[in-house]
Amino acid sequence: MFGPQSKRDIALEWQAQFPMLRQSIHARRANLVVKFQDLYGFTVEGNVDDVNVLNEVREKVRQQGRVWWALEASKGANWYLKPQVPSISEGIGLKSSLKFSGFVNAITLKKLIRKGIPPVLRPKVWFSLSGAAKKKSTVPESYYNDLLKAVEGMDTPATRQIDHDLPRTFPGHPWLDTVEGHAALRRVLVAYSFRDSDVGYCQGLNYVAALLLLVMKTEEDAFWMLAVLLENVLVNDCYTNNLSGCHVEQRVFKDLLAKKCPRIASHLEALGFNVSLVATEWFLCLFSKSLPSETTLRVWDVLFYEGAKVLFHVALAIFKMNENELLLTHQVGDIISILQRTTHHLFDPDELLTVAFDEIGFMTTNTISKQRKKQETEVMKELDLRLRRLNSLNEK
Amino acid sequence: MAKVSPLAKYKLVFLGDQSVGKTSIITRFMYDKFDTTYQATIGIDFLSKTMYLEDRTVRLQLWDTAGQERFRSLIPSYIRDSSVAVIAYDVANRQSFLNTSKWVEEVRTERGSDVIIVLVGNKTDLVDKRQVSIEEGDNKAREFGIMFIETSAKAGFNIKPLFRKIAAALPGMETLSSTKQEDMVDVNLKSGGNSSQNTEQQGGGCAC
Repeated sequence: MFGPQSKRDIALEWQAQFPMLRQSIHARRANLVVKFQDLYGFTVEGNVDDVNVLNEVREKVRQQGRVWWALEASKGANWYLKPQVPSISEGIGLKSSLKFSGFVNAITLKKLIRKGIPPVLRPKVWFSLSGAAKKKSTVPESYYNDLLKAVEGMDTPATRQIDHDLPRTFPGHPWLDTVEGHAALRRVLVAYSFRDSDVGYCQGLNYVAALLLLVMKTEEDAFWMLAVLLENVLVNDCYTNNLSGCHVEQRVFKDLLAKKCPRIASHLEALGFNVSLVATEWFLCLFSKSLPSETTLRVWDVLFYEGAKVLFHVALAIFKMNENELLLTHQVGDIISILQRTTHHLFDPDELLTVAFDEIGFMTTNTISKQRKKQETEVMKELDLRLRRLNSLNEK
Repeated sequence: MAKVSPLAKYKLVFLGDQSVGKTSIITRFMYDKFDTTYQATIGIDFLSKTMYLEDRTVRLQLWDTAGQERFRSLIPSYIRDSSVAVIAYDVANRQSFLNTSKWVEEVRTERGSDVIIVLVGNKTDLVDKRQVSIEEGDNKAREFGIMFIETSAKAGFNIKPLFRKIAAALPGMETLSSTKQEDMVDVNLKSGGNSSQNTEQQGGGCAC
């Protein structure tokens, strides 16, 4: 639509008219708000730039689709499950080392997934790579339906809380916010609450399950994705009764921020800003409440393949991308506003993921596990202390 | 952007069971609107508003919290930093009223008596479904030695009085809690918000 030159002209014009608003082009044009629907049917409010970015993203998604289909055609369907299949890039004469080709395939797959799984292939690829398919295969075929039948009509604190939250989960979405959508989401959440009574239902899971339903298309597959997510992909006890796992992740994140973005970390510290203010929602909803849908799902693409450390990469990237602006803040409210505004407008997943993986740099699961262990003891001590204080108050 | 003299800044934390209307009360106060389509708050949410009183201007930082029981373990640090705790219940939900005692205890655990606590009975528009009388609310507040008011965020009833009541109870201007310079432009006010205050904030830059 506009060339870079004309864009700048417009920007200058705006600047002349509104001298008050002298932030980025982004902020200046933010006044021209348009409403549009994104790839997954969510209504988004954004400016002209956002619409353009979203169109570019659609085009990139199409391109990625072609790449994946070409791979299916040459390597066979489900090639990503069989790392032994020789990679075409090596040529026919080079299949001497199966191990090597498997390694090449794994690298190819990792790169490919970081570039995004096309929406049509997501259900299939997620289901296999996350381990959900394997999990499902260990129980009778009728497991989900049997579970639904068994819990029908049950009334528990979890079901009551779920019922509270159904209309408060992505309100206004063309399918999720319908009788049918509510019923499907309810069944998935209620079924899970009985599968793991330690978790039951935790607020935040409603958003995660809703998005899983949109992607996986069938309730049963969404259920298994939720199961594998909570039982295998994420750290334990993120959603259990005192959210201890969530507390641990927050502390690990705080340490990582200090290590990876020391300037931001010390500035935030000076302002008395606790990262959990923003990160709690990020980690519990897996960004589904903060990032635009396709961006969230691109994060989940990597999450299901590479594991929970991906959440740290992304969270760190969100801070890193705003480093300059964050360093200029004087109060907590401004920090939150900057982060909220950025996350809501991150329509280009590549912008985020490039920072998350290229700029944040390498973090091994092993190092993070060690840090988790260290924090676990501290968190348990603190939660225990709090309980005792509350109890002693009750006895008075 | 124009720098102004430090504003007195106060932190208010909103507590109470799920769906009692914490977010609705805040939204009514911030934007004077009511929506039936709020998203459930996860963890904590933050909004700030400058309030113009007859004799002074204060900046309120509002901390909205998730109502589900298990989120309680996340909240103490916010209570610790707050000078005001607004504990809300739904007048049409007796359990939410009974649970306010737990919330009061939670606040006292963190802050002792060095805190203003307001008990708020919300949803008075649900006349036929009322399960908690105004007397019960009042009695409980007396028992705990805290303030009390009934509101309806939906009907827009008693929301401004609630905040005026809080403002009146705040420590005076002479004990400024803020030591930092602040911008007057309130970035948290979205479009469709309280436009008159918005302009006032953007235009007003007196350096006293």
